[in-house]
Amino acid sequence: MKDFVFMKSANMNKGEIMPDTKVVKDIMVGIFEYPHVPYWFSVSQAIKIIKVSFLNTRKYPDPMAILVFDEKYNLMGALTLRDILRGLEPRFLKPSEKAQVPEEDESSLSIIWDTLFDKSSKEFADKPVSEIMTTAKHFVEPEDPLAKAAYLMLHHNLILLPVLENRKKFVGLVRMLEVFDEISSAFIKE
Amino acid sequence: MKPINRENHQKLYMQLLSIIRMKIENGEWPVGTQIPTEDELCRIFSVSRATVRTAVLELVRQGYLKRQQGKGTFICKLDNSEGYRMSTNLRETFLENSLKTSSSVLAKTVMMPVDGFDDKLNITAEKHIIYIKRLYSFETEPTLLQEIYIPYHICPLLLEDDIEKNSLLDLFDKKYGIKISKVRNYMEIAKLSRSESRILNVSEDSSAILLLQYYYSGDMVIMYTRSVKNPDRVLFSMELERKNIL
Repeated sequence: MKDFVFMKSANMNKGEIMPDTKVVKDIMVGIFEYPHVPYWFSVSQAIKIIKVSFLNTRKYPDPMAILVFDEKYNLMGALTLRDILRGLEPRFLKPSEKAQVPEEDESSLSIIWDTLFDKSSKEFADKPVSEIMTTAKHFVEPEDPLAKAAYLMLHHNLILLPVLENRKKFVGLVRMLEVFDEISSAFIKE
Repeated sequence: MKPINRENHQKLYMQLLSIIRMKIENGEWPVGTQIPTEDELCRIFSVSRATVRTAVLELVRQGYLKRQQGKGTFICKLDNSEGYRMSTNLRETFLENSLKTSSSVLAKTVMMPVDGFDDKLNITAEKHIIYIKRLYSFETEPTLLQEIYIPYHICPLLLEDDIEKNSLLDLFDKKYGIKISKVRNYMEIAKLSRSESRILNVSEDSSAILLLQYYYSGDMVIMYTRSVKNPDRVLFSMELERKNIL
């Protein structure tokens, strides 16, 4: 059983760290906590949404992300600040093919601002978000054990895990924050 | 003062409405002043509170009066450019031959009101909106492409509804009890975008009639629609009727 792998790695007895009653729906958050966009929205529209939804209102959910849907309101993926910044990054700042970059090369960072918004970055801003989003590949059901969600998040390096009802209706999201809270609370309990 | 005539076949609230409207139109009750309270109106005209309330609400709807919470009801300045007040039977589009027109939903999803839709819907920019895109066809010919924007909190369950089989206006009215009280319409000629001309099956850069509609329930915008119609043989039609001509 897959979720058992997680238990084992925590080196704990299942009964102690996680009561059987804890399931995904106990910790999931509502999908309307996050902004929604259809896949054809441009990167620049997504940037505006991040500004008005998070930065201007000083709401900083963890993670800061936008959910991307298709035209039938099925979840396709999520767009994070990292996805956007990665696309805006000028070519020369991308990691060198060589294994080691000498320390002094970082001095070249001071010239970023002059060249950051070059032509390719502007083209990037017009791209649809579907091209740069992180695709949603893994899902859990509301009644799945919390451990399954934790396992998927850790092993696939997910920042958000969508919760689907009957493999179809998108009803919530599991975040690392709540997973951490639940598991760590059980861990430090006397 | 013209009294209420109980022998008259006209409903009491309609009579009261005409009397108040006349007082406003002839300046007896000047713009900006407060009208008597409900109790006072009941006494002056010897009618029930329900009659007063219905007449006042209708005059608010018609734009003669404005209610201010905790202060009272005031006479509004009437915009003369509005002309005669007329009513029409509201349909979701102005398409003639609506019986032969079918619609298909191209998209129904949720988005944020970026690029000015927050202002159009009078909501804050971090509120979600339901987005619907549908194509009306006359027989098999694509005729009108409509995009619909509804604040999500107005009607969250709408996402589950079949809007190809049911009229959106009927769903609002009958299923959700959202009463549409006013629709503002704007029309202009616009150039179609590449994707719009592809969907409407006309050459790129074609001109089209653009219809913008703001649907209100009271003071709240509950829906904004943007429709483009290619200039083909199907006409826009709208019949206006002046009611209560004395």
